[in-house]
Amino acid sequence: MIELRNVHVDYLVQRHGMRSIKSYLTSFGSKRLLERKHILHDIDLRINGGECFGIVGRNGSGKSTLLRLLAGIVEPTKGHVRINGHVAPMLALGVGLEPEMSGWENVRLCRMLMGHQRFDGEGVRSYIRSFSGLSEDDLEMQVKRYSTGMMARLGFAIATATDPDVLLIDEVLAVGDVAFQQQCYRRIEELKARGCTIVFVSHMLGEIQRICDRAACMENGTVVKVGNTHEVGVHYHGLLGIPL
Amino acid sequence: MLRAVAWRNVRLRYKSSFLGFFWTLLNPLLFLMIFLLIFSEAFPQIQNYPVFALSGLIFWTFFSTTSAHIMGSLIENSAVLRSLAVPPLVFPVSQLMAGLFNLFMSFIPFAIILHFFGRLPHISDLLVLPIVLCFAGFIMGVSLALAALNVYFRDIGLLWNALLPAFFYITPIAYPSDLIPERMRWITEVNPLYHYINAFRTVLYDGLVPTAETWYVILAMAFLSIVIGGYLFKVLRPGFIANY
Repeated sequence: MIELRNVHVDYLVQRHGMRSIKSYLTSFGSKRLLERKHILHDIDLRINGGECFGIVGRNGSGKSTLLRLLAGIVEPTKGHVRINGHVAPMLALGVGLEPEMSGWENVRLCRMLMGHQRFDGEGVRSYIRSFSGLSEDDLEMQVKRYSTGMMARLGFAIATATDPDVLLIDEVLAVGDVAFQQQCYRRIEELKARGCTIVFVSHMLGEIQRICDRAACMENGTVVKVGNTHEVGVHYHGLLGIPL
Repeated sequence: MLRAVAWRNVRLRYKSSFLGFFWTLLNPLLFLMIFLLIFSEAFPQIQNYPVFALSGLIFWTFFSTTSAHIMGSLIENSAVLRSLAVPPLVFPVSQLMAGLFNLFMSFIPFAIILHFFGRLPHISDLLVLPIVLCFAGFIMGVSLALAALNVYFRDIGLLWNALLPAFFYITPIAYPSDLIPERMRWITEVNPLYHYINAFRTVLYDGLVPTAETWYVILAMAFLSIVIGGYLFKVLRPGFIANY
């Protein structure tokens, strides 16, 4: 179960690029070098265990920051985040892949960065092999020689090679061919059937309606609508000014 | 996880270059050759100039490369830090570990080279190890501050790269410290690098045990550096995510 109570997130950002140091020095400290920016505010959200929850919203509405908050990458400035179980974030594919190293070495390294044990069992290895569809030769090869699609396959295979309690997905399925996308959805369904909670961010309402039970719509850093996927879809399209 | 990332750093540093690990050695050796060509006749009071120069150069190289690597470690791994819940400190620390590993590996060939110049190994050489530890602590503190500031202002990285050669000439590495005129002595005294290089030289060149005062100074500087650098890192850390 995931619970957010009155959550606020502020970012400390530079005011105006390179010029700021000069203007800061010439103002003798009266101007502030860094500015506090409100990214998320007043978020109250409850996602039940085993639920597949979609999040829609315009660019810059705070969807990705919300996922980062759930992933533990960002800490709330105010409020409480409660999240039960092991969280597997998939905010970008192929992150941490090191071009100079081989596929298998990357599997080891990325899993380590994701907080797994040092030694991967044969189970993980065979999962990676079958899910990515990469041959043993490919996996021994340096990743820099991979095609974009191969990278995406490896990335998704690494990311889903666990049985997480919570899976966070941020529009990563847009890459890859149709067959691969279908494979990804199958894996999502599989994890869902095992009781995994899934939070799914997308622009594409169709995808949300296909796999999610409920959804939320975000606007200007807060959640403006929670409900079933149809209601949220109507609301989102209302915001965009496009009839559904 | 630290070990895995550190090992990746070691491997990546030289992976695609033909001479690999030997670059670690080649850099100070090239400097040594330049020194020998230019300075060997300039300081007649130094009995064995190659040993004198090398005992300073090895540790200068350690300082300059490691501090630069740690400084860039957060930005270089920004993609991972933005999308996985990895503590940012992992990257600076693993860079330090990689630097130490490189240093210790380079001791073997350097011992052979020193031997060639007529410097026989001695049991007191082991005193280098505690000095290296203090030095590593000092470097860590300085570089943590640099790495954290570098996330906000990329000028810091450029500035540091411009300052490093200046430190190299201010610090008595190629020349003996007693050549510095009395009225400029204070510059040497307040330069932390001088105290570390001096301690290494006392052990490796003079074959003596550093005085109690030297030990206090290098320990205190390491401690101070870690406290200040660590504090800055901690204060600036919440804002990293918005500025990578």
